[in-house]
Amino acid sequence: MKEKIKNFLDSDLIEKYLLENTTQEETLQVERYIAMYPEVQKTYDELQNNLESFAKMHAVTTPDGVKEKIIARIRGERAGRKKFFQYAIAASVTALLFAVASVFFYQQNQNLQEENVAVTNKIETLKQDMNSQLEDMRRQFIVLNNPQTKKLNVNGNRKAKELKAVAYINPVKKLSYINVSKLPNLPENQCYQMWTEVNGKMVNLGIIKESKNQDELFALPYGKQAVSYITIEPEGGNNVPTVENIVANFAF
Amino acid sequence: MSTLLEKHIVELLQERNEKAISLLYEHYGDTLFGVANKVVRNNELAQDVLQESFVKIWKKSDSYDPSKAKLFTWLFRITRNTAIDKLRSVNTKKDKEIQIDVSDVYNLGVDHIKPELIDTHENLEKIEAKYRVVLEALFFMGMTQQEASDELDIPLGTIKSRLKIGLRELRKIYGPTAIIASILSLV
Repeated sequence: MKEKIKNFLDSDLIEKYLLENTTQEETLQVERYIAMYPEVQKTYDELQNNLESFAKMHAVTTPDGVKEKIIARIRGERAGRKKFFQYAIAASVTALLFAVASVFFYQQNQNLQEENVAVTNKIETLKQDMNSQLEDMRRQFIVLNNPQTKKLNVNGNRKAKELKAVAYINPVKKLSYINVSKLPNLPENQCYQMWTEVNGKMVNLGIIKESKNQDELFALPYGKQAVSYITIEPEGGNNVPTVENIVANFAF
Repeated sequence: MSTLLEKHIVELLQERNEKAISLLYEHYGDTLFGVANKVVRNNELAQDVLQESFVKIWKKSDSYDPSKAKLFTWLFRITRNTAIDKLRSVNTKKDKEIQIDVSDVYNLGVDHIKPELIDTHENLEKIEAKYRVVLEALFFMGMTQQEASDELDIPLGTIKSRLKIGLRELRKIYGPTAIIASILSLV
């Protein structure tokens, strides 16, 4: 061990370390030796003291004004740093504001896009509605205005004597409509439902409500020898007509 | 320089108190200026080196580790390295200037050593010149022992032994008895 320390001290590693001339690896080695061996620590301390003494022998009085220049430069550094931090804070705040604004605008944009889709869909639905209504009107006009159209007065049977309806049938255009102008009152849990038997098949035409508009026409499916029925059904309608509750029927 | 004062300065440095620089300048300014002068051998350049070194000392103050080096050793390293860098950059510049204009050659050099740089310290005389040369080459010129050996044309083994003996001579001069003797001589 003694030999090892002696060899280390004989090398110039510690002198090189004193002057910061060692490589990173050498630095670690020297620092390890200093920490481990008191002799090495002592030599290092002596070297440091000697260096200080030797340097002091060469001391030269500094010229006037240098100290002031140094202090001024250091203050400049500090001010620069302070300014840097001020700019850094300002930049951070600006960046944060941008981030918040971006999120806000992004969300707003998303909302607007959703709204846009909803509005477009609504317009599309309205357009389709309008087209089908126009088409319906056109058909109604054709039926009502055509001399070949037959007009059929429909009256209710004894179960619904007040029921009055007019059916319009045009065999040439193969269109038929019905206008229900009067329906007798029913208990709340019952409703009128309309059916047509076309080519042997019973078609559900849905629940009839007394027209708010007396002139409203309902389209009927056209079929040769079609028979239409109006029945009283439980509220909400039925899947098949209740035959004993037929209040009106007409054929065309 | 008392250890107490050193500790105080180190604390101020770590607190980034400007007073630390003031105290460092008062206690080490002349010595570090001497070191800078020794390396660059030009008073004006040495002033620049001193200024730059102190700015570096200030900037690096949080990197100083008292367990690894004495305060002076740390200050010395920074100053010496700054001076060597300065010398290199000036020499590079000088080389370029030579290429442009031959008359600029005398810009810097041994001829320009100013009277105040000539060592007047008696103590130095007490160290034999052959040791002093080795110490200066290693401490101030930034030479490695091998470079000093080549430059001074002295075998490496001799450099090593002269360094050790030179340092021992220093101890004699600055040992406790020497300090008492110097105090007595003042009285």
